[in-house]
Parts: sequence; C-alpha cells; structure tokens
Amino acid sequence: MRNLINFRSLLAALTLGALLISWLNAGYFGMEILAEIAILALLAMSLDLLAGYTGLVSLGHAALFGCGAYAFAVFTAFWGWPPSLSMAAATLLTGLIALIVGSVVTRVQGIFFIMITLAIGEMGYELVFKTRALGGDDGLAGIPRLDLSVIGVDLNDPGVFALFLILLVVVCYLLLKRLLGSPYGAILIGLHDNAGRMRALGLPVQRYQTSIFAFSGAIAGFAGTLSAQHTMFISPQLLHWTTSGEVLVMGILGGLGTLIGPVIGAALITLLRHELSDLTDYWGLWLGLFLILVVMGGKNGVVGWLETGWNLIARRSGDRKSSDRSANDAAG
Amino acid sequence: MLTDSGFWFVQLLNSLQLSMLLFLLSVGLTVIFGLMNFVNLAHGSLYALGALFGYSVAQATGNMWLAFLIAPICVMAVGALIYVLIIDRMRKAGPMKQVLVTFGLIFVFLDAQRYFWGTDQLGVTSGIPFAGSFELFGEIYPSYRLFIICVGLLVFAALYLLLEHTRLGAEVRAGVDDPETASCLGVNVERTFFVVFLIGSALAGLAGVVALPAFSAEAGMGVSILVPTLVVVVVGGLGSLKGAFAGSLLIGTTLTFGQVLFPSFASMLMYALLVAVLLIRPSGLFPARG
Repeated sequence: MRNLINFRSLLAALTLGALLISWLNAGYFGMEILAEIAILALLAMSLDLLAGYTGLVSLGHAALFGCGAYAFAVFTAFWGWPPSLSMAAATLLTGLIALIVGSVVTRVQGIFFIMITLAIGEMGYELVFKTRALGGDDGLAGIPRLDLSVIGVDLNDPGVFALFLILLVVVCYLLLKRLLGSPYGAILIGLHDNAGRMRALGLPVQRYQTSIFAFSGAIAGFAGTLSAQHTMFISPQLLHWTTSGEVLVMGILGGLGTLIGPVIGAALITLLRHELSDLTDYWGLWLGLFLILVVMGGKNGVVGWLETGWNLIARRSGDRKSSDRSANDAAG
Repeated sequence: MLTDSGFWFVQLLNSLQLSMLLFLLSVGLTVIFGLMNFVNLAHGSLYALGALFGYSVAQATGNMWLAFLIAPICVMAVGALIYVLIIDRMRKAGPMKQVLVTFGLIFVFLDAQRYFWGTDQLGVTSGIPFAGSFELFGEIYPSYRLFIICVGLLVFAALYLLLEHTRLGAEVRAGVDDPETASCLGVNVERTFFVVFLIGSALAGLAGVVALPAFSAEAGMGVSILVPTLVVVVVGGLGSLKGAFAGSLLIGTTLTFGQVLFPSFASMLMYALLVAVLLIRPSGLFPARG
C-alpha cells in the first residue's frame, strides 16, 4: 500500500510537470485550455471527495459550482464588491447552501441519493434559468477578475491567469491530501466501505456525510467563482445535471478515490474534446465508448491502469530480491 | 380562459396523454430496476430510437401503422444487443458501475442518432391515423392524442394481465420480490430478466413512435425525457406496475397543470414532488417490495 501511495505522489508530480511544460509552450488558445483544465480539476477533485472517498455519488454537484459562479457575478457585477471579498463570500455562501442541502439529502442512500441530488440540482438550474434578474437563459456577462496588481500580477493576462489557476490546483491538492490522511479522512473512507459498520461503531454517520457534502460543495463553489472569472460570462448550463455527469466521467476515467485521478481525467477529457472536435463531429460517441470500456475493464481508470503496470514492474524487480515482500505489496 | 370548462378539459386530456407516454417509458425501466436493482440510464435513448426508426419506416412506406409495428421491434433488437454485449457482462459488477456504463451509452446513442438521422426535427405529416380532430365544449382537440391515451391504457391492461395471470408474470413478481429464493425454486431469473429487458425496450420504442406524429423526433429527445421518467420510477416505487401507472399520472398532471398555472416553475414542482416523496416515503407510493 505504501508503494501505491508513493506512486500516486509520483503521478501527481508528473501531472504537475506536464501542466507546467505545456504552460511554457502554450499560445493564447493553449492558455485558455489550461485554465479550463485547472478549474475542472478543482471541481473534479471536490466531487472525488464525495463520490470516490465517501461513496456519495452526487449528480447535483454542478449546481453548487454554478451557485458559486452566480454568487460571484452578483456580488461583483451587481453589488460592486471587490473580487477578493466576493470570492470568499461566494465560496462561503455555497458551502452554507451545501450544508443545508447536505443535511437533507444524506437521509437517503444509494440510487436514491443520486436521484435526490439530481432533483435538487435541477431545481437550482430551473430557478436560475427562469429568473430574469440573473439573466435567465441569456446568462450574465461583465464579470471582473481578481485584481492582484498590488503584488505586480496582472490576472487579465491569459498566461498569468492560467499559472495562477494551476497554482491553486496544487495548493488544493496538497490540502486535500493532508485532510484525507487525517483521522477525518479515514472516517470518510470508512463510510464508503461500510456505513452500517461505522454506525455500529458509534459514529454519527449522517453528520459526517453532511460535513463532507458542505466542504466539497464549498470547493465546488470556489471553482465556480474561478470559472466566472475565466470566461467572464456565465450561463445556466453551468448548473445543469449533464455538467455534473461530465465531471463525474472525468473522475471515473482518471480514477475515483485517488485525488490525482480526477485531475488527470479533467486534463484528458478537456484535451480530447478540443482535439477530437476538430477531427470529428461525433466526439461524444468516442467518449461514450471510452467510458464504457474503462468501466467494463474493471480497473480504476487511468490511475488504476498505471498502478497495475507499476505493480507488475515492482513485482518483477522484487522477484530478484525477495519474492515474499513484493507479493504482499502487489496484493495491497 | 381560466374559468372555461372546455379549456380545463383539454388540459386534462393533455395531462393524460403525457402521463401515458411517461407510463410506456417508465414501466420497462421500473420492472428492470425492481428485478435487477440497476437503472438503465440509456432507456430514454431507446425512446428516441423508437421515434427515429418510426420516422424512417413512415418515410419509406407512408404507412404509420407499419411504423408502430416495426419501430418497437427494431428497438427491441437494439435492446437485445445492449443486453448481450454490455449488461449481461456487468451483472456482477455492482449497481454503480452498471449505471455508469449506461451513462456512457447515452453519449454513444446520442451521436449515433445524430450521425444517422441528422440534428433536424423530423416530423411525419402524411399517413397518420386519426389525423382529424373533434370538438369538445367548444374546443378543437386532435383525435390522435386520444389515440395515445388509448394505447397507454391498453398497454397497462395487457401488462396487468401478463403479470397477474401468466407464468412469466408470476416469475417476474417472484424475481422482484426475492431473486435468490425465486432462483432456488427453479425460476430462471436470468432468462426472465432478459425477456423483461426486451419488453421494456420495445415499450420505450413504442412510446417514441407513438409520440412521433404529435411531437416530431430529434436526436436529443431521449435525454430530455429521461429525467421525468426517472422521477416517475422513484415516485411510483421501484419495480411496481401500479406504481409506474400512478407515478405517471401524478407527474404528467403536475407537469401539464403546472405549465398552465405556474408557467415558470412547472418542472420545479416535479422536482419538489420527488424530494418530498424521497424524504417522506422513500420507497415510493406503491413499492413492489413491502
């Protein structure tokens, strides 16, 4: 197991390296794609906390993402608050809404959890879609970016903005990794594996599920404020359940419950979408087939494949030393 | 307008007609759900396929009745293909992975439908049976919509007889109730599930082709109908014919009258209803398992 955790840190470092190298070589359009990848990576990591680690598959996560984006837009464009304050307020507000929603939805499990998050998320979508004051189906424009000119950083430059987002992804990854390594993280994984046994051990299951729903929602809201700053335009599509579905697909392709998997998934899917949509009008067909193959393959996405390969290599080199220990490692 | 009885009667017929379409779609989904404990998210895509196959048959032959017959059979064949290629192999993978695989199928179907039928709205104009209309309380109403209601009621009656009075029906009920015991008692649960999956697919196709003359067909129609269908299944109670029927009536009525009374918030009403049912009565209105 230790072997695997180290391997994941190695993967994370490699992913960061790949992002930085592409940042060095990216033109204007490449910077836009990198920024998109970083925002989706944040969102996918937050969903991984819920779906991958705690076993709560939510199809309403995009609604929280959109909530952060719309709250940021209202605070800055309508009320004239400074972007930094608006980001904090929007993140907090989304976390608060997620706390309330979480205390309700965690009363049901399994497929019912999927349905109730879908329903509540769609209610949010409908609300925004039909509210003229929020721009309705036209969306909202004229959203400013964070102003960091006091430290000499101009976020309106696409390259600087992309690097800023990549940095945020790194910080968020490290914080979440720390969180998941803590006793709290162990509780989350326990809830995923066997919620009934955790309850029998005396754990207030629903309270923990609600807390992670709220925390994950706050990160999604934070990603939403960044998305609003990136495109400077937002539309109700951000909240739609198909957006949640796409983010879930990113997690699955990359490997749920690995934290780095969703980042890799977000990068792969965003790249493929931009590359393949030039080559074919039917890129969804390939994405769907790919998804089916990954799920049917039984491994945990890209990270799962790489780990299997890594274990094979580790076992082969271990055979020469001590065959006993490496077999244990492979099994773990 | 709001005090006009003819207007309300027309709305009542509209809500019945939507309810019957939802019923045709949800009944297959709910029984598969009850038997196998897994949700086929691609069920809406089969509905779209039914409409598109129906369109092609109607274009080729000019005969809508032939389309009503052939389209469900074609959709059933596609259903068999999905079952053999994917679902059968995913039997032991757990419900979550099965849901994800069918989620992938949505993408595949959507683009395949775009490839073969394009992205335009496809309507059938000639050869439609009951193309006329009739007058009720001073309102003109198309006869075809009454036909949709009749098809729904007929299918409900047929399925009721099938479930309650045939050997297959008894096996399905036993399988929904307790698959392990049923299988110990010599019921071939695997085969039963396959047959149910085929019937469910054919009914989704039938719903699509029956809806075609009233609404026209397009590649994305399967995704937009999926969510109301899932709501019906959960509200009605998993695995139950009666639940699918009652849930369809409830959701069809909510959507239609919600559209008239609160035009902005019709679908919000539906979601609120779902949340309320899940919190107050999580097993649905008429659960098949007690």
